[in-house]
Amino acid sequence: MTSLTGLVTPTERIRAAGRSAVRVPPTVAIAAVVIVIVLLWSLVPWLFTSYDPSVGDTAEKLTAPSGAHWFGTDHLGRDVFARVVYGTASSVTSALVAVLIGLVVGSIIGLASGFLRGAVDVVLGRVVDVLLAIPSFLLAVVIVSSLGFQTINAAIATGVSAIAIFARLMRAEVLRARGSVFVEASYLQGGDRLHALLGHVLPNTYKSVVALAVLQFGTSILVIASLAFLGYGDPPPASDWGLLVASGKSYATAPWLIYAPALVIVITVLSVNRISTWLRRTQ
Amino acid sequence: MSRSYGRYALLRAAQALIVILLAYVGTFLVISVLPGDPITNMLRDPQNGLTDDEIQQVVAHYGLDKPVVIQLILSLGRFVAGDLGFSLQSNLPVSQLLGDALPSTLTLAGTALLLSVAIAVAIAYGVQYLPSRWARGALRSVPSFFLSVPNFVVGLVLIELFAFRLHAFTTIDPDSAAATLFAALTLAIPVSAPLAEVLIANLDHESRQEYALVARSRGLSQARLFARHLVKPSMLPAVAMIALIVGELLGGAVITETIFGRDGLGTVVQKAVTSQDVPVLQAVVSLAAVVFVTVNLLADLASPLLDPRLDATSRRKASSRRKATRDRDATSERKLEVPA
Repeated sequence: MTSLTGLVTPTERIRAAGRSAVRVPPTVAIAAVVIVIVLLWSLVPWLFTSYDPSVGDTAEKLTAPSGAHWFGTDHLGRDVFARVVYGTASSVTSALVAVLIGLVVGSIIGLASGFLRGAVDVVLGRVVDVLLAIPSFLLAVVIVSSLGFQTINAAIATGVSAIAIFARLMRAEVLRARGSVFVEASYLQGGDRLHALLGHVLPNTYKSVVALAVLQFGTSILVIASLAFLGYGDPPPASDWGLLVASGKSYATAPWLIYAPALVIVITVLSVNRISTWLRRTQ
Repeated sequence: MSRSYGRYALLRAAQALIVILLAYVGTFLVISVLPGDPITNMLRDPQNGLTDDEIQQVVAHYGLDKPVVIQLILSLGRFVAGDLGFSLQSNLPVSQLLGDALPSTLTLAGTALLLSVAIAVAIAYGVQYLPSRWARGALRSVPSFFLSVPNFVVGLVLIELFAFRLHAFTTIDPDSAAATLFAALTLAIPVSAPLAEVLIANLDHESRQEYALVARSRGLSQARLFARHLVKPSMLPAVAMIALIVGELLGGAVITETIFGRDGLGTVVQKAVTSQDVPVLQAVVSLAAVVFVTVNLLADLASPLLDPRLDATSRRKASSRRKATRDRDATSERKLEVPA
């Protein structure tokens, strides 16, 4: 072994080490680029298209994708690409809201039941059981029907239906960290429970929770798109991705009205999932 | 069964019952405490043409003039007694509405379940045995692709390709065998993904076990080894997922049935949501919870029987049974039995 390592010059070794430290598989890099573009679409949509998403030229209705209209035009002659780009903000931010709700509420429940145990664990455990017992999409549908048909309510409903998954993972992670030597050491050194919780247990749980949050972001985009597809989000002229697909399906002669927004959904979620898998593997 | 297993089963059953009742309470609270009060809105809607007398009748039936807690207890009592109430939309008993819709959804979900298992097994087999490395890698990423495509897109693409272009079925007759098959495929694709992931991982594990090597050395072909020895132990951990899958199927039915125009539970939900038909929503959600919890319970009760290693409570019993089967074939003959 010594003779082999001797053949490699120090600079080469450093270079190799540098490469492995920031080694990102090409598919993950592409996925990251996709996510950045999508985020930019939601923040500064006007930089990506010169068309107005709500004003169409009826002389140019239902034209196929071309150089002028990348995703073609709809029944009112509106540019579909512009509608997709401007619809990103609500499709993506609502997914973020959903993840945030699931993450925060789920983590608190998981943290409380894993750390306090006893009666708290039993009571919160049944709450989680109930949330898990109702199929998550059905739960989201019922909540959104109760809150009212708006995209923000769809986001809340999606978030609530994700609470149980986060709570479960968080509880398992807390139990794992709680039994570890360093938490015991912290107690032995005279640390109190709050210190152990914030200083040692919580930092050791966040990695797997973050990976789940990213995965859940992709799932939330799908669920919110499905709710919008069923008409439980903001009504037109909003252009949420799911809504675009739903309104596109009435025009059998213009399949791009379905395929273009569908493709954007698929590519976005695929990218999010790829990053989540990578995060989980590199832990 | 051993006494400890009986106690375990009873405890699990009691827990399941509690979860079902709590799910009912939770749904009730979500529907009736959150703003809106759909029932009163529905009743006051002049389009329904209800007379004041009829309104009084409905209000009295649901106890809407009483505090929420009383309403909840009354409602829970009716649920336990099996009375699901009446639809606000059609005035039919909810149980009748659900009963009419159930066969369609059962056919759809049953076919989808079979299809998803078939797809998952096919993917797992391909990932394990395809000759080309490239093809194996491509197949390996199929599950995560399936998880990234919204259900409604799958459905619309299938309709566009197979109904409009290839005329393999028509959407005019959604209950025909061909249309049912494609609707089931729509539902099966996202469901098959997690199943395939689990199968791939388990198959990988099992095929590296000694018994698999021994079987290969005895001259068993790859396909035979897969079918006779590897599938069963690889499927076993998937049993724990069955409840999750059933939940996915019920949730996915809402979209699939809407797209394909089938009259099933999903369509009932969709209509109930649009018209704020509270008793119907409450009943469907509770029914879904009952199904999920029951399937989960059965899976939990069955897994120690299917895989004796899992069962700490009846180890003695299991080991005696294991001894009996060992003479035949230690690994492949585990009987798939479900407690009655």
